[in-house]
Amino acid sequence: MSSELVRALAAICDAPAAAQAAAGVLGLRPPEAAEHTEVFVMNCPPYAAVHLGGEGGLGGEAADRVAGFWRALGLVPPAEPDHLSSLLALYAELCDAAHGARRPAVKAAVDRARQVLLWEHLWSWAPGYLGAVRELATPSLAAWAVLTRRLLAAELMQSAGPAYQAPLPLALRQAAGCLSTDDDLDGLLDALVAPVRSGIVLTRHRLTIGSRAAEVGHRIGERRFALRAMLEQSPAATLRWLAGEAGRWYRRHAAGEDACSRWWAQRARTTHGALAELAAQAADGAPARGSVGSGL
Amino acid sequence: MSPPTSPNGAGSDSLEVLNARVSAARAEVEARGETFYQGASRVHLAAFPPKERWDDWVELSSRAWPARQPGHYMLVPTTCFNCESACGLLAYVDRETLAVRKFEGNPEHPGSRGRNCAKGPSTLNQVTDPDRILYPLKRAGARGEGRWERITWDEALDAIAARLRAALSEERHNEIMVHIGRPGEDGYTERVLASWGVDGHNSHTNVCSSGGRAGFQFWTGIDRPSPDHANAKVIYLISSHLEAGHYFNPHAQRITEGRARGAKVIVLDTRLSNTATHADYWLSPQPGSEAAINLAVANHIIRTRRYHRDFIRRWWNWQEYMANCRPDLPPTFEAFEEALAECYAEYTFEFAAAESGIDAGVIAEVAEVVAGAGTRFSCHSWRSAAASNLGGWQVSRTLFFIAGLLGAVATEGGTFPNAYNKFVPRPIHVPPHPKVWQELAWPMEYPLSQNEMSFLLPHFLKDGRGRLDTYFIRVYNPVWTNPDGLSWMEVLSDEDKVGCFVALTPTWNESAYFADYVLPMGHASERHDTHSYEQYDGQWVGFRQPVVRAARERMGERVTDSRQVNPGEVWEENEWWIELSWRIDPDGSLGIRQYHESRARPGEKLTVDEYYAWMFENSVPGLPERAAAEDLTPLEWMRRYGAFEISRGQGAVFEAEVPADELDDLRVGPFGRVYSAAQKPSDPNIVPMGAPAPDEEGRRAVGVEVEGTIRRGFPTPSGRLEFWSSTLAAWGWPEHALPGYIRSHVHPAALEPGQMVLLSTFRLPTQIHTRSANSKWLDELSHTNPVWIHPTDAARLGIDRTGELVRVETEIGYFVARAWITEGIRPGVVACSHHMGRWKLAGGSGGGAGAMMATVDLSRGDNGWEMRRVAPVVPYSSSDPDTARIWWSDTGVHQNLTFPVHPDPISGMHCWHQAVRVSPATSGDAAGDIAVDTAKAREVYRRWLAETRPAGQVSPDATRRPSWLMRPLRPAPEAFGIPAEQTISAR
Repeated sequence: MSSELVRALAAICDAPAAAQAAAGVLGLRPPEAAEHTEVFVMNCPPYAAVHLGGEGGLGGEAADRVAGFWRALGLVPPAEPDHLSSLLALYAELCDAAHGARRPAVKAAVDRARQVLLWEHLWSWAPGYLGAVRELATPSLAAWAVLTRRLLAAELMQSAGPAYQAPLPLALRQAAGCLSTDDDLDGLLDALVAPVRSGIVLTRHRLTIGSRAAEVGHRIGERRFALRAMLEQSPAATLRWLAGEAGRWYRRHAAGEDACSRWWAQRARTTHGALAELAAQAADGAPARGSVGSGL
Repeated sequence: MSPPTSPNGAGSDSLEVLNARVSAARAEVEARGETFYQGASRVHLAAFPPKERWDDWVELSSRAWPARQPGHYMLVPTTCFNCESACGLLAYVDRETLAVRKFEGNPEHPGSRGRNCAKGPSTLNQVTDPDRILYPLKRAGARGEGRWERITWDEALDAIAARLRAALSEERHNEIMVHIGRPGEDGYTERVLASWGVDGHNSHTNVCSSGGRAGFQFWTGIDRPSPDHANAKVIYLISSHLEAGHYFNPHAQRITEGRARGAKVIVLDTRLSNTATHADYWLSPQPGSEAAINLAVANHIIRTRRYHRDFIRRWWNWQEYMANCRPDLPPTFEAFEEALAECYAEYTFEFAAAESGIDAGVIAEVAEVVAGAGTRFSCHSWRSAAASNLGGWQVSRTLFFIAGLLGAVATEGGTFPNAYNKFVPRPIHVPPHPKVWQELAWPMEYPLSQNEMSFLLPHFLKDGRGRLDTYFIRVYNPVWTNPDGLSWMEVLSDEDKVGCFVALTPTWNESAYFADYVLPMGHASERHDTHSYEQYDGQWVGFRQPVVRAARERMGERVTDSRQVNPGEVWEENEWWIELSWRIDPDGSLGIRQYHESRARPGEKLTVDEYYAWMFENSVPGLPERAAAEDLTPLEWMRRYGAFEISRGQGAVFEAEVPADELDDLRVGPFGRVYSAAQKPSDPNIVPMGAPAPDEEGRRAVGVEVEGTIRRGFPTPSGRLEFWSSTLAAWGWPEHALPGYIRSHVHPAALEPGQMVLLSTFRLPTQIHTRSANSKWLDELSHTNPVWIHPTDAARLGIDRTGELVRVETEIGYFVARAWITEGIRPGVVACSHHMGRWKLAGGSGGGAGAMMATVDLSRGDNGWEMRRVAPVVPYSSSDPDTARIWWSDTGVHQNLTFPVHPDPISGMHCWHQAVRVSPATSGDAAGDIAVDTAKAREVYRRWLAETRPAGQVSPDATRRPSWLMRPLRPAPEAFGIPAEQTISAR
């Protein structure tokens, strides 16, 4: 059990001040406040709901599900129960509680809760999220992302039997539908900014890269707005780039061997296929099967 | 799993190595008393300045915005003084000017956990109040004329000490009285009086919580509950007062936690309170019917056999009940169960519905929820119903009846006796019990009164039962707080009845105007006190301190007197009492000085530093070790952090086995009470609780035998929970010895046609009892108290809209106030918040004093007193520019003046509810007007007094009061005896 390490990693993604001491002890360069903000505010907000919710936003059913888990443990959910920092802090608490439990039955129950937290509410989305952080070119926090993923993977390995055998996390089993070629433009945009629907984590940083790749102007604004502008300027080029992104995410997810990774890989693969088809249609000028094409 | 690629080394270490490295770093930092995870951290789920940065905390000035202007502050803890829960505050002391800039919560305080209500931060208003009293004042004209002259502390001390010395030397001990408003400390004042040999402690409790206390004490021997709301399955609250006013914050935050964990909240409150708005079940009963509802719930639990059979069998005094009340039945538990069911069968849902006006189905549903709570049933009743009705004490007695049935006593999520969750450290000196009995506070008519019969003092003085040579009020405003305040004014104005009247107060008040000396005492950040209150299943001690003194000392200065750091010549009471006691007994010949003398330096005065240093070193377990770990003395540690948690998880103390060394030469009573000749071991915790009498041979009641084991039990005569009170039975009230229902004096059957019930026992959670007028933020938030009227009543009475004036007639007069038409009150009932209606007399020369009070003309004619408002609150210029921005003018009405006294014949509690007539105001009426006939007030007093059963007639042992009952200041045993002349007729 690496509870104190988990706690330190939780502190790093919490707030700039909290990150300082913990990063230093881990030998990571303490992130500057601006770097911290760039990663955790501007590009990769560390909330489970963003990654597991059908709308890719804060709150909603996905966050309620996490809050319900806190309540099921007899705990008061904090203000942001699905924040990665809160979840890691809770994981550390459960590690300590299991370690300190004197009665075997209590220890078993706490261990079970810890495994459920790991599988249902962390591993169900964090690998993808951490992958997105890693590619943001902020070295200190990229190292944090790598270390956090390594730790979560190790924890999963440690409790590998039951976790790997477990059914898919509820959030994935009940996930909103995948992106489809039948979607209209708004539907396409909705799915692209919701990781659980597209299988990809589309950050502002990647959109900047994408606009260069597609040779379109990058309009500053929220991701959906910027993406719409890209699609309106050059649908074929933008869709091709997006299809490439989906393919990249497919390969990333597919490197994992567990059920969650397989699920995410499948979703990215489906997205890749749909986007590739839409891109081809857009390039040919052929009538689209769905309304996306007509909107482009 | 791909290997990490770290640019700076973390990736090369194993996770175990990294974990060990973080653990070691954290341990090292925390060993220094510092915080490892700093800042606003989800790791801690809180955001407070890390404690190691309290010496130099930097914040940007909000007023300098948009410029970034950093300010450097020293964060010094103290505790709030604006209600009795003593929440932790952190004073932000400017390091440059040493002025307090703001108050926020102290995260190190175990009770409040860094959270405060509006009253805490508003301490700043009190500190900077331009109207506050800064210097000792002596009356210059006639009493109440409002003319003052500034004097020195020496002049005040010498004059008052001379009076007290004369009284003590002439054995006029009972002519000295100290009357406490906001205690805010655990027993210091009582010990001062004990050191003088005076039984002169008087409290406000019989206009406050004694009705609620009595019901709990008859059950457990301890007079307050400590509900574990956070872990409860069902939270059952009679009235909102506790959770929306007093103790608001520490309990409210735990109720919120309980709700988040799925607890159901049941609130019985005739008025839609803040708490009621958050309840799963809000029951708005006919005032006074709460005990009937409780009994119906209890009957449901009994009838469906959902009670905790084993708990009752082991811990109720059912055997004593059976022996005394049901000798016709076999003395078996099974027979008791039958008797119990028989006893409460009449309290059906239909009965409760008829009494309360609440649908029987709703009561049944609530009863079922309660029955399902098991041992996770937390409950509370404090004022409101228990403080409002004849027999109100049965509200809390029947409430604890439910807890007792469920076995939810000192269980997780249950209800604890407060003494389990409170720690009062033994002080350096403990003077003996005084050998006198104060008849003016503990009269023969009320042998079972929970507290001093304080609100009857004017009548007792008018009756000629005694006089007061020197009468102190301490953070108290009797004219304003008590019912029948004009009778108070009459006696306080009469120098034959009160020879010298001394007001120890931080703020001006209606009573201080009649004082001979007005002596300025400090606010929360200007005085020392310790305290501990029941707020969860744990024990903590909080420390109030003059924060500027602590700041200066951190900077290396030496401060020996709080006047050196307080504004003007504001002092603190502890230093005042020490100095006064020395001047009463300068040579030690009266035996007083020894209790105010240094142990370290015999012959010198005790200092507050030595007083608290001794206490924290010797009487707070664990504190010396905790302080030593940070290389601090215990006093330094408390000055730095403000509160210390001694223990957590007290659990069922009554179940504890009595240690063998406490068992010697035992005698076991017929029902298992165990008496031992062994000396009571010294305990650093001197928390108040009942003191069961020794046996005839002087053995102390040490425990109770339960299934062959001697356990600690409860501090009751039987050692068990007293379902049947032998005390009530023996002292003249056998018909009320069981939890039961007493119809209120405002029961519908007692009302005359056209009368309604007036609720006056609530307040808003942003209000301080009598000190809000000195807190501008609180005053702006709420400054008036309209009369709540249901729309159906308003239509019936011809009151068309909110804001219209209404006249509310009581037994002795009337008041005029604005109407608030709302469905938040039960039809047939009106309600008016207390804490409002502050006033000052026209023509006084108080300068800006009381500028946030209305100016009134008070006159006395053939028909009694009349108060007319001559000027509302208006903006004015002062050192505080905000006083020029006062936008309101209405300050409400002082309704208490129009209430006669209603002393409950058993608990002694003033029964606040009033039977009133409400009508539209007449053409000459103005908001805030009052008329009172104090002659009628005398008649009402005599009528209620006639309902008593005096000790001289009913005492079973020729004493004035059962010796085991709690008493804030307990006289020596010999003082309990009834003088021979009073045994014949006590009236």
